[in-house]
Amino acid sequence: MTKALTNIPLFSRVRFRDAGTLVGLILIAIVFSALTPSFFTVQNIINILQQSSISACIAIGMTLVIISGGIDLSVGPVAALSATLGAAMMVAGVPVPLAVLGAIATGVACGFVNGALITWGGLQPFIVTLGGLSLYRALALIYTGGTPIFGLPTEFRALSNGTVLGLPGPVIVVALLALIAWIVLTKTPLGEYLMAVGGNPEAARVAGVPVTLTKLSAYMISGGLAAIASLILIGRLGAAEPTMGNLWELDAIAASAIGGASLMGGRGSIVGTLIGCVILGALRNGLTLLNVQAFYQLLATGIIIIVAMLIDRATSGK
Amino acid sequence: MTSVSAARLHLTDVTKSYGPIQVLHGVSLTVAPGEVHGLLGENGAGKSTLLNVLCGVVPPDGGQITVDGTAVTIARPKDAAKAGIAMIHQELQQVPELTVAQNIFLGASLRRGAIFVDRQTQEAESRRLLATLDPSIDVTAPIRDLRVAQRQIVEIAKALRSNARVIAMDEPTSSLTPKEFERLVKVIQVLTAQGVSIIYVSHKMDEVYRLCQAATILRDGRFVTHVALPQTPLSTVIEHMVGRELAHAHHRSFATDTVMMQVNALSRGTAVRNADLTLHQGEVLGIAGLVGSGRTELLRLIAGVDRADSGTVTVDGVTISGANPRARIRAGLGLVPEERKRDGIIRHRPITANIGLPAMSQFSRVGLIRKRALHARSQQLMREVNLRPFDVTRAIGSFSGGNQQKAIIGRWLAAGTRIFLFDEPTRGIDVGAKAEIYDLIETLAAQGCGVLVVSSEMPEVIRVSDRVLVMREGRVAASLNAGDITEAAIARHAIPAA
Repeated sequence: MTKALTNIPLFSRVRFRDAGTLVGLILIAIVFSALTPSFFTVQNIINILQQSSISACIAIGMTLVIISGGIDLSVGPVAALSATLGAAMMVAGVPVPLAVLGAIATGVACGFVNGALITWGGLQPFIVTLGGLSLYRALALIYTGGTPIFGLPTEFRALSNGTVLGLPGPVIVVALLALIAWIVLTKTPLGEYLMAVGGNPEAARVAGVPVTLTKLSAYMISGGLAAIASLILIGRLGAAEPTMGNLWELDAIAASAIGGASLMGGRGSIVGTLIGCVILGALRNGLTLLNVQAFYQLLATGIIIIVAMLIDRATSGK
Repeated sequence: MTSVSAARLHLTDVTKSYGPIQVLHGVSLTVAPGEVHGLLGENGAGKSTLLNVLCGVVPPDGGQITVDGTAVTIARPKDAAKAGIAMIHQELQQVPELTVAQNIFLGASLRRGAIFVDRQTQEAESRRLLATLDPSIDVTAPIRDLRVAQRQIVEIAKALRSNARVIAMDEPTSSLTPKEFERLVKVIQVLTAQGVSIIYVSHKMDEVYRLCQAATILRDGRFVTHVALPQTPLSTVIEHMVGRELAHAHHRSFATDTVMMQVNALSRGTAVRNADLTLHQGEVLGIAGLVGSGRTELLRLIAGVDRADSGTVTVDGVTISGANPRARIRAGLGLVPEERKRDGIIRHRPITANIGLPAMSQFSRVGLIRKRALHARSQQLMREVNLRPFDVTRAIGSFSGGNQQKAIIGRWLAAGTRIFLFDEPTRGIDVGAKAEIYDLIETLAAQGCGVLVVSSEMPEVIRVSDRVLVMREGRVAASLNAGDITEAAIARHAIPAA
């Protein structure tokens, strides 16, 4: 009886849903392992994790925003703006830690602008961040004149390209960020406020939840994480392109949804989102190993997202 | 009683459960052609569910429905329309931007050449339908320009357009003036003369006695009896509706002379005008008045949910500066809202999270929620209020209205609230849980809390209150002390002079 299971706190509804996402990942892994021997190897799994780390970093922020009842379409351009500003600082000789902080502050500031327009401005999240999508991209392009910024210091690049205990730096950084986000969501008042504000904003307000602050926090975290993702990417590439981060928001939304976040707000899980990211990453990796054309990879991604949602709908009952 | 074969509408043994909660236990209803039939019962008696079954919104679990002797199955709203059953909802379901004629033909528009809407014919037909009901209504006017009473008549015309033989009216007069009620009476007479049967749901007994030839009384989801009107005396009808248990409940007062809260000249637009009130420690202060008299609005201003244009709220001699719920909660106020789903609960979250929301700092240490403490406190509170089923980890949305209400009350108990603001505390709650909520209010008062109770149900106000304020057109019209609290006295102050 699923009812009996969900009544045990250990198997609460959310964790039950995470287990479902994990089953999806395992099925995909089994299929690719059967089709190509190079899929299920330590090196390839590390590859998948590394490839997924940037999208996971974005998706964590996206999940928090979605849980709060909003959406953040501006993550890609926010990443580009943060990366180009950070890179310019480094090239200009600003110490690396300071430049990194500067880049993250830029992302957080963009998130604050989004959140301010949504809360105090009373605008819809979709429209505000759609505007932000153009606006922040334009700022990045104007600032750089459309050309990439080269010549990033090696000490900065070491973070993205180095390994710790055999794991790539980005994987470790994103795992730590995910752990923090998980603690915030499940164990702090802010997490409870996010769920409440997304689940029923009016009831949350009546119950004394600081609704404005909660929403602002979600967008600021999302902006900050977009900046961190961009730093990981420019560390790997060695250059900051003002056009980077194109369509990042779509992967992040898809991973959140596969992981069980409700686009209506009030529900979502960090663990689920991470698994969702790895599902999308494993799918692309496996299809590439099988030499499937990029067009068909796109097709498969679309099918996976929709199938995941259909299964979710069919198994969640109501 | 009408014989079954001659009946316009005949329901037998209709049952319905929501999960483990059975809301209709084999209900029967027989309505004769051209009859105005009252459907009576307290809130939670099952009237709404029965109406929803009739109009296809809620599919029944069992039972038979016959219309003019023919058995029908009503699983969807479409089936109801086909069977000739129409419903006039309390909240009219119309599109304000469309014209009267467009609303009358909504979903069944007349076509010319299969593609184009035939406006002329629609308007002519609408004019014909409205001719006997209210010829003053302009069929080309948008619905939003009409008064509620006129919108209601448009909805009746729509029912006639679909050849309805049974029209169910849910609290049709809740927002009508006495003059508009007279108009509705005439409309109903026109309808019944055409052989249309009316199911009339109302709490207002004078209307029921004036209009209905018979009535079916429900209690706790059960069929109690079928009575002929107006020959059955009112006392008998009420006895059937209420049962015995509530009649014997008596009021205990714990009011003191210590002033807890003072509200001075609180105003917002025309909804609340210069409202003053004083609440004492241990006092239950009822707020009565007609719908729209500003009761709910006043409560929401006090709770900081809506912003007042002017006026102050003073608790323990200190005027509260912030006009938002957080500031009011810090001062010891807590609102138990009327619209539980909209303003009260976070549906998907467990009882524990719903309880802990206003008191998160109290349940956290170094920024982390102490889940164990929150769980223990929730269990303790919910045991006191007899939460059923007793499981605080379950999503609050899966509980019945009464138990959700207990959790919302528990929320404020956990937050250390001392002034409880109840808005329609038993709306949509079954009779058993109702008594529990009344007991809870009494317990709160006994513990020295101050309680404000806004209620539309006169027996409820009289049952729980030490003192009653009557509101009229946004103002506090009267304050009735213990000895003077009667339905007649409340009504006298509540109804505006013509």
